[in-house]
Formats: sequence, structure tokens, C-alpha cells
Amino acid sequence: MTVITPTVAPSRLRAFFSGARTLVRRAPLSAFWGVIAALIVGTAILAPAVAPYGPLKSDFRAMQKPPSEKHWFGTDQIGRDTLSRVIYGSQTSLTVAMGAVLFGTTVGALWGLACGYFGGRFDMFSQRIIEFLQSFPDLILAMAIAMALGGGLPTVIAAIAITRIPFGGRVIRSVVLSLKEMQYVEAARGIGASHARMMFRHILPQCVAPFLILATTHLGVAIVIEASLGFLGVGIPPPTPTWGNMLSDALNSGLVPPWWLVFFPGAAITITVLSFNLLGDGIRDLLDPRLRGSV
Amino acid sequence: MYSYIARRLVFGALTVIGVSITVFVIMRILPGDPLVAVFGSEGFTKLTEEQRAGLMKDLGLSDPLWLQYLNWVRDIAAGNFGKSFFRSESVADMILRRGPLTAEIALLSVLISWVVGIPVAIVSALRPNSVADSVVRFLSILFLAVPGFWIGMLIVLGLLFWFGYRAPMTGAALFVDPKANLELIIGPAIVLGLGQAAYIARMGRSSLLEVVREDYVRTARAKGLNGRLVIAWHALPNALLPVITLSGVLMGLVLAGSIPVERAFATPGLGFAMFIAVSERDVFVMQNLVFIYSVVFVLINILIDLSIAFLDPRIRLR
Repeated sequence: MTVITPTVAPSRLRAFFSGARTLVRRAPLSAFWGVIAALIVGTAILAPAVAPYGPLKSDFRAMQKPPSEKHWFGTDQIGRDTLSRVIYGSQTSLTVAMGAVLFGTTVGALWGLACGYFGGRFDMFSQRIIEFLQSFPDLILAMAIAMALGGGLPTVIAAIAITRIPFGGRVIRSVVLSLKEMQYVEAARGIGASHARMMFRHILPQCVAPFLILATTHLGVAIVIEASLGFLGVGIPPPTPTWGNMLSDALNSGLVPPWWLVFFPGAAITITVLSFNLLGDGIRDLLDPRLRGSV
Repeated sequence: MYSYIARRLVFGALTVIGVSITVFVIMRILPGDPLVAVFGSEGFTKLTEEQRAGLMKDLGLSDPLWLQYLNWVRDIAAGNFGKSFFRSESVADMILRRGPLTAEIALLSVLISWVVGIPVAIVSALRPNSVADSVVRFLSILFLAVPGFWIGMLIVLGLLFWFGYRAPMTGAALFVDPKANLELIIGPAIVLGLGQAAYIARMGRSSLLEVVREDYVRTARAKGLNGRLVIAWHALPNALLPVITLSGVLMGLVLAGSIPVERAFATPGLGFAMFIAVSERDVFVMQNLVFIYSVVFVLINILIDLSIAFLDPRIRLR
């Protein structure tokens, strides 16, 4: 009667912990903000358990009340609890940002992989398309796409993802270009490996570090774009709370919006972006110090 | 040098054509039916079949796509940017009326970003890892994270709350009413300027740190030149080249950022018009505004590239 111990899980877990330990030792500040980021993600996931009220539940006896013991962040024009809305808002904001970055960077990375690997006319053509995409300021491109496709979670994710594609494409392409000249790639070609095997087995694994760095550094940008879209009324439509459309609602509520409706959602954006950016810096320094300041 | 300029201009023209096709694809083809984009899917179903056909015909939407595209390009080339679906003012008039305000905001913000960012970069590069450097680095990381429009809303609220002040709500031209004009643009310009200053300080710091290690800087020091003069005369000009390029890239941030920021300040500029176009789902105005913003962005970057080539002989002679 032998006990089969799962070998993969503990070793991965150990790798994660050793990575985390290195992060704490080498970049305590990043580790600190990493904890904050983890807390924010945790709060978003556990929103129903953490939030004191429902995000859409209005209390008509407490409309537009300043912060109090009952409502820490005050209430909005129709008596919804701002704290709860900020917490539920993190769900939407993070879903959009993570979805967009993951989707956009992955598409960009695969595209960049193909461009760098095949080169030639395909690469030329692709680079032109990427340049056209980059001739638009990010937010304007995202606005146009979100407007054309109509509001809603998938379209907002798609709109932001498309603005992230050029970055993934460019960075991964340049990584692949330099990898292609490596001897082990040449050797693989020498023993007759197929294109797919070369790309996915030999080159792709080397792109994981730049991919992770890109993804974390772009999370913050994606959150700000999502908030701006919400603020301009082309993001996720109300009543679903997002930090952007809460700020927009505050401004629509009258000439002088109450300060708590402005302060708290914006502070949530700032702290979240700050923590993701600093965590991203730490991960970049840890994985590849040569990339400092370049991605 | 001339061949470089020519190449850059041809390339720029190609980019503008590519941009126009991209805009057309996004605004006209992606929505499937532009009427859905204008009326919303709910409003669209309320239209009768004849109404739809009539609208399509009026708006020139029943032509084949390539003809629609050519018509659009021809209109733009003739300076005819069409009319809003909901307003009588033509888009060309709107741009002439609102554009200058946004242009002033953009220019002033770039000025502010340099005035703030460069000294900060020098201070933090000359004493790396000092207290001042750490403070500056933290502040620049903070400013990278803060959304400009939120700061804008806080400024508007704060001024109103503590000083009972509110910037004028109507447009004011620079030469007609300079004071009101300044009051309109100063808020957005500061917010956008500080946002850029964070990037500029960061880039300026690392670029200066690199340049200071160069041989010619050591030579200048060795010949006994005063430390400040070495920085001002020898190190800074070279360190600023990448910062100029960055400023061009950041114009994208300013042009796009001015849309939510103008909304936050209720500035009657072009960015605000874009916000209105987006919230009214005015596809045709949006299409032209997106195109114009992108062309401006492309042109600015060509200008930046050319001035870099002018300033840096290594690029000019390549």
C-alpha cells in the first residue's frame, strides 16, 4: 500500500514561495505593494462577503449622506452605499483590466512570435498594421472601438485588449529575433524540427518572462483606460458599478458633486494602479534586470 | 538630411492613409449597422423599414463600402467634415471654435511638464538614492498611477469649496479675453502637465545618469569645468534628446487624456466635444474627430523626429 504523493503541486507551490521570498528580500517595497494588490484582488473576489450592503440596494432614508458609522464612504443620490459600490466596482474593473491585458498581450505575443520567426513579407505587413494601431492615442482607439461595438463587458475588454496588442507584438518580436540566432535554435532546426515545434517548444518558453513583465506593467494602464471609458460613458453601463461610471454618476448628479462620491472611487483607482505598477516593477527587476526601464 | 525628411514625410503620408482606413473600419464596419450605433439596439428596432432605408440613403450608407470610404476621404480633403447628427453646427466650425482651447491646453501642459520634470530629473540624477531622489521617485510613480480626470474633479471641488471659485463655463478666445481664457486652460494644463512630468522626470533621470558616465563628461570635469556648467553645457543637451522623443509619444497621453480631463473641468474644448459625441453616439462626428486627433498625433511625431534629426547629427547623417 503505497501512498502516491502528488509531486507536481508541492514543487510548484515551493517555487512560488521561494519566488515570493526572493521578492520580499530583494524588493521589500514591491512585496509590500504586492500584498496590497493581493488584498485588492481578494476583496474583489469576496465582494459579496466583504461589502456591507448590496451594490444596487438603495436606502431611501439615507440619500446623499456624508460618511458615517453606518455608511463609511457615504451614500449616493439614491441612497446606495458608496463603500459597497467601490468594492463591487473592483470586480468589474479588475475583470476588465485582467481580461484585456491577458487577451491583448497574448494575441500580441503570438503575433510577435510569428512575425519574428517567419520574418519576410508577413513581418513587414504586420509591422505596418501595428504602426497604424499605434498612431492612435490608446484611449481614443479604445473609445472608438467601445463605441462602435456598443457597451458591455466583452466589448470593453476587446476595446482595451486591442490597444495592448502592439506592445505585446513589438516586445515579443524583438525577443524572438534575438532568440532565433541562438545556437540551440539552430541545432533544433538542424535535426529537422518542424516550424510549430521550433516556435512553441524552443522559442516560446523563453518568451514567458518578458510576457509576464509586459502583462503586469500594462495592468495599471488598462485599469486607467477602463476607468476613463466608464467616466466618458462608453464603458460598462450603469447600474453595474465601476469606478469610472461612479465618477461619471457623481458628475451627473448636479453642478457640485458631493466630495465622498468623487474621492473614494478615484482613490480606489489610484491605490490599485499604484500597487500593480510597483508589483510589476518588482517582478521585472526579479525576472530580468536588463529590462529595467525598457518595457 | 533632405532624404531623411523626404522619407519621413512619405512614411507619414502612408501612415495617415492607414489611419483613415483603420478609422473607417472601426467606425463604419465594426458596428455592423451604423444606425444601431446611432440609435442603440433598442431604438433601432423601433424604426420602421422605410425609415431605415431613408436614413441609410440620406447618410450615404447604402453605397458600397469602398465608395463610402472614398466619399469620406474626398469630403475630408475638401475640408468638409460633415455635420453632427444631432446639432446644426458643422464639425469644421466646431473644430475651429473649440480646437484652439484644446491646443492651448496641450501646449501649456507640455511646457509645464518640462518646467517641472527636467529640474526634478536633474536633482534626482545628481544625487541618486538620496532622500530627495527617493521622494521624487515616489511622487513620479504616484503621478503615473493617479487618473488625471480624478485630480481634475478634486481640484474643481476644492476650489469651489474653499474659495467659492469656479472657472468660466463658456469659451473665451486667447486674444479676446486672455484672463478668462487662462482661467479655462490652466486647470487642465496643470493636471495633464504633471501627469507628463512624472514620465519626463523618470526618463530624464535615467538618461542623465547614463550620460554623466560618458567619457566626454569626465573630460569636461577633468579640464576643471565647474560641476554645474558640466551638467548644463555638456550632459544636459545629450540627455534631453530621448526626453524630446518621449514628449512626442506623451502627446498621445495629452490628446487622449484631455477628453476626460476636459469633462472633469467642464472646459468647452475639443475633448469635451468628443465626450459629447461619444455619449450621444454620434458616429459621424466621432469618426472625423478620431481621425483628426490621430492625424495631429502622427504629425507631431513627425515634427519631433525631424527636430531630433536636426539636433542629433548621428541620425541626420545616417
